[in-house]
Amino acid sequence: MTLNKMSAGLAVLLCAGFPALAEIDLSGSWSSINHEDALERGGGPNPVDWAGLPFNEAGRAKALSFSQSIISMPERICWFQTQWHIAAGPFSLRIWAQPDPITGKPIAWIIGAWETRAPMTIWMDGRPHPSKNAPHDQTGFTTGVWNGNELIATTTHLKTGYIRRNGAASSDQATITTHFLRHGDMMTLALLIEDPVYLTEPYILTRSYNLGPAPVAIGGPPCIVGDEGVESGRVPHYLPGKNPFVDEMMKLYHIPSEAALGGAQTMYPEFRDKIKDKFEIPAKCKLNCG
Amino acid sequence: MKSKLFVLVFAGVSVLGVRAYAHHSFASTYLEDQKMTIEADVLQFLYRNPHSFLQLESKDAAGKPITWAVEWGAGGQLGSQGVNRDTLRPGDHVVVIGQPGRNPDDHRLRMIDIKRPSDGWSWKGTFD
Repeated sequence: MTLNKMSAGLAVLLCAGFPALAEIDLSGSWSSINHEDALERGGGPNPVDWAGLPFNEAGRAKALSFSQSIISMPERICWFQTQWHIAAGPFSLRIWAQPDPITGKPIAWIIGAWETRAPMTIWMDGRPHPSKNAPHDQTGFTTGVWNGNELIATTTHLKTGYIRRNGAASSDQATITTHFLRHGDMMTLALLIEDPVYLTEPYILTRSYNLGPAPVAIGGPPCIVGDEGVESGRVPHYLPGKNPFVDEMMKLYHIPSEAALGGAQTMYPEFRDKIKDKFEIPAKCKLNCG
Repeated sequence: MKSKLFVLVFAGVSVLGVRAYAHHSFASTYLEDQKMTIEADVLQFLYRNPHSFLQLESKDAAGKPITWAVEWGAGGQLGSQGVNRDTLRPGDHVVVIGQPGRNPDDHRLRMIDIKRPSDGWSWKGTFD
């Protein structure tokens, strides 16, 4: 056998046992690093802090009507989150492949559930998304394609949810595009949400993970409804113009309301120049100072 | 230093699988820069994840009962600190210091400190 024939044979052998080129293995337990957006992913953001969110008027009005007490209603205590929770929650990920029983190739990648989020099944077999009139459920419907070493997943058929845990909402018309970018034992997820009901532009969050030997738990303890201070049937809310925390970011950090109330312009660096004359660094940071 | 500690805590949470996470935002739910003290009797102790809740009853100035919902740490977290489901029983008289809820109608607190004068038992701490 010539050297060329040996090389060709070796190449065939190597390819047979591994995914096709330009696909990578995502399986394993990925520990969230949580070095970004710590307040948002930890204790939770301040009320009426929507800077950087590309709200339209409906999105802002919806958020201003939100009272945090609403999710202490017995009916909502066990409210499930959409797949956006992957971007905005604090938890780690367990990912595995579901193989085709004949070919052994992954027909889906699955991201395990959390106690507050259903699993995400990313179908890789080219199946179409359901009709736009099909029911929306807790998982949404997700398909994926490879772009080189990057997996791009598209999720539709979501239920309503949150974008930021202080009232910034997403509608059931929103779609989420998730980019899986693996670099050795690190992986970055870039999630992009588009919502024609509440946003004027896509909103993007990234977060990174380390691959580790410790298994990441799937699911979690069951949610138990209890008395969190809001009786059944009362729906806490603020009527238009009555949100008492509109000036919270000004009081805490001197951030003008035109920034705190969000809008696409607040996402871009040049907005800083626009408001710099209205901002004065507080003499002392009082709360959540990093 | 604080940010390093924060990362370490989250790393621990991730590795151990302990779910110390509320579905709500603390900063949006409570007035974190304020404290309030109540003296009341235990109605119920809901020892659970992601957070436990202690139901208390006190009386207002007119003698009318007020029910309080005091949010506390996750069952797993409290368990590691010696607090279990039997630590507090209905009828126990306690003094609680906490951060008041932003909505006064909810009669809600985020636990900072609790004492039971009858036997001197106490707990003090923070949780996420």
